[in-house]
Amino acid sequence: MKTIRLELVDLLLVGVGAIPGALLRWQASVHLAPFLPFASAGADLVVNVIGAALLGYLVAPPATAAPLLLALGIGFCGSLTTFSSWMLDIALLQRQGMHLDALALLILSLGLGLGAAAGAYRLKGQLQSHR
Amino acid sequence: MLKSILLVSLGAVPGAWLRFRLINHFEPIVPAKHWATLAVNIGASFCLGLLVALNQLCLSNQLMLLLATGFLGSLSTFSTFVVELLVLLHKQAPAEALLLALASVVSGLLALELGLAIGGLQ
Repeated sequence: MKTIRLELVDLLLVGVGAIPGALLRWQASVHLAPFLPFASAGADLVVNVIGAALLGYLVAPPATAAPLLLALGIGFCGSLTTFSSWMLDIALLQRQGMHLDALALLILSLGLGLGAAAGAYRLKGQLQSHR
Repeated sequence: MLKSILLVSLGAVPGAWLRFRLINHFEPIVPAKHWATLAVNIGASFCLGLLVALNQLCLSNQLMLLLATGFLGSLSTFSTFVVELLVLLHKQAPAEALLLALASVVSGLLALELGLAIGGLQ
């Protein structure tokens, strides 16, 4: 069984990435929501898709250096994106009787998120092969 | 404004730490890490439902910034979930990817609704 030791440095790196990630997500919902369809649900969708793309790029081969993966991947992307608010956005649309919009938000998030992650994953490979 | 920034940050750091810790802790037990991510996301969704319901009654906006925006927002993650789906698709395991996507969304919504209900939101 592999045991994973959590070093203080690891926690520091995750924390350093988590703060700007969470602040950006919060500010996106404050400033972008008024201009987007579905208000804060739209803002959550935007940060989720951007975070998915960045993480897709980071995990694509060749491997990203471990400290960078901790700070940017687990810290920044993990905190920038949110699953719980996405669920809340869908549930609130449903509660307002907007079932079709709730379903659209569900499918759009999954589709755009997967597409962004897959696109960024492939982009890294292409950038490497051009070098 | 400065106080709000501090509150979101103060919530975000332990949220990210807990997610990091839990996902690594589950690894030897759960066959693949994506089921640990699912567990963390479900837990965060339940807590968010509870907080949103309680917010209607008694919680201050500052507490919501600390706990909901900061802590739970950082604890739950969409990017890892999506990248794990992508990894399953790359491994030619579309059935497991579909199962993970359905399980995540259905249980996440149920957990959130349960939290809302327990918190007393109709």
